[in-house]
Amino acid sequence: MHRTFLAFALAGLTLMLAACAQHQSTLYERLGGQTNIDAIVENFLYRVADDTELVGFFANTNIDKLAASLGSMICDVSGGPCHYEGPPMDRAHQHMGVKDRHFNRLVEHLDAALAAEGVALNARNALLGQLAPMYGDVMRYQ
Amino acid sequence: MMPSPHTPASFTGYLTTLVPRITAFIVLGMILATAPAYAGSRLLATGAVTAIEGAAGGGLSPWAVLSGTPSDEEVGVTATATRAWVDDYRLSVTGASVNVHDRIEVSVARQTLDLETLGGELEQDIYAAKLRLFGDVLYHPWGIWSIGAQHKRVSDNTIPVALGARHTQGNDVYLSASKLLFSAFAGRNVLLNATLRNTSANQGGLLGFGGDQGGRSWVAEGSVGVFITPQWIVGTEYRQKPDNMSAAREDDWQSLYSAYFFNKHLSLTGAWLDLGTIAGLPSQQGGYLSLQAAF
Repeated sequence: MHRTFLAFALAGLTLMLAACAQHQSTLYERLGGQTNIDAIVENFLYRVADDTELVGFFANTNIDKLAASLGSMICDVSGGPCHYEGPPMDRAHQHMGVKDRHFNRLVEHLDAALAAEGVALNARNALLGQLAPMYGDVMRYQ
Repeated sequence: MMPSPHTPASFTGYLTTLVPRITAFIVLGMILATAPAYAGSRLLATGAVTAIEGAAGGGLSPWAVLSGTPSDEEVGVTATATRAWVDDYRLSVTGASVNVHDRIEVSVARQTLDLETLGGELEQDIYAAKLRLFGDVLYHPWGIWSIGAQHKRVSDNTIPVALGARHTQGNDVYLSASKLLFSAFAGRNVLLNATLRNTSANQGGLLGFGGDQGGRSWVAEGSVGVFITPQWIVGTEYRQKPDNMSAAREDDWQSLYSAYFFNKHLSLTGAWLDLGTIAGLPSQQGGYLSLQAAF
């Protein structure tokens, strides 16, 4: 009897999630295109600037250049019409003293920025999934 | 059997019953006093919930993740209260764990099984450690891999020995791997866990260790869960079990679970259990609730 219940529960879940998911468009489109990606980056950088644990890493950074670079990277990894030409992740972060807690906070700020700019959960998950493997590169030369 | 507080020996038993509960309340008090300042930096839900043996995991099985949300320079503490009701038994568990630098987790748990139909009570204490070998559930392409050991002691050997158990103490060791697959099912993140355990425990140890049909064996455990939202996961878990005693046939355990993470400090897990035959009473099914506090 419980297996029937299990089957029904899983079937219901599948239908519910399938209805929510929008897999017709590219991730770039689901993020809202370049206009919304730029808004996400700006939202994200404001959160970073407000975070006393993180803001120090950007003391000598040209924020406009960083914003453009992040926008181009998100466009690139999400299948948009850009080619990221900034430095590779390992060199960009070398000897900065980035710890796990900093990386985790950046992920939390990015996800919060995605949600605040109206990105649906399936696209948030997909983008975080594209960026998560960069952990290894970012931490390589710490 | 319920310790009576009138003899020195059972006074110790009485104390050991109280200590985990007092610890839990102290920890809860500290959380209320300090929240939200001292949450670890790892992301919400990456410490899972507390399995019935005290380790971070699902309900039935330990997972590779370490408890709470501390990262490599942080320390975390959790306290858990759990209750499970099946047809003829009621299990209560209190537990606590410490996670040091997301490298090693040390946990204690006290299980009390009320034999509501047969009469009486069984108690077991579990002292355990889990070591993260490498990886991370989110960031590493191979996920996170850990090994663990659990030392279990049954406090009263009458019932286990009557059923044919060889020992009243035992040690489990396990290897576990966990991995989050981003956007893997209808745009939702999917959490996979697999655990391989070497054990001689009957019904997790509550019915002693070993028997006429066998001693140690390898068993497999696994779970699949879908994060409906970043705070809410539903899934199913399976735990293979040994079958050591001809007088008390034993079945594999399974569950259908739902865990909600209110924040990094508090989670509530509900589950539906199918534990099969326990000590001769068949088809034990019922509900499960577990509350975990972390800081």
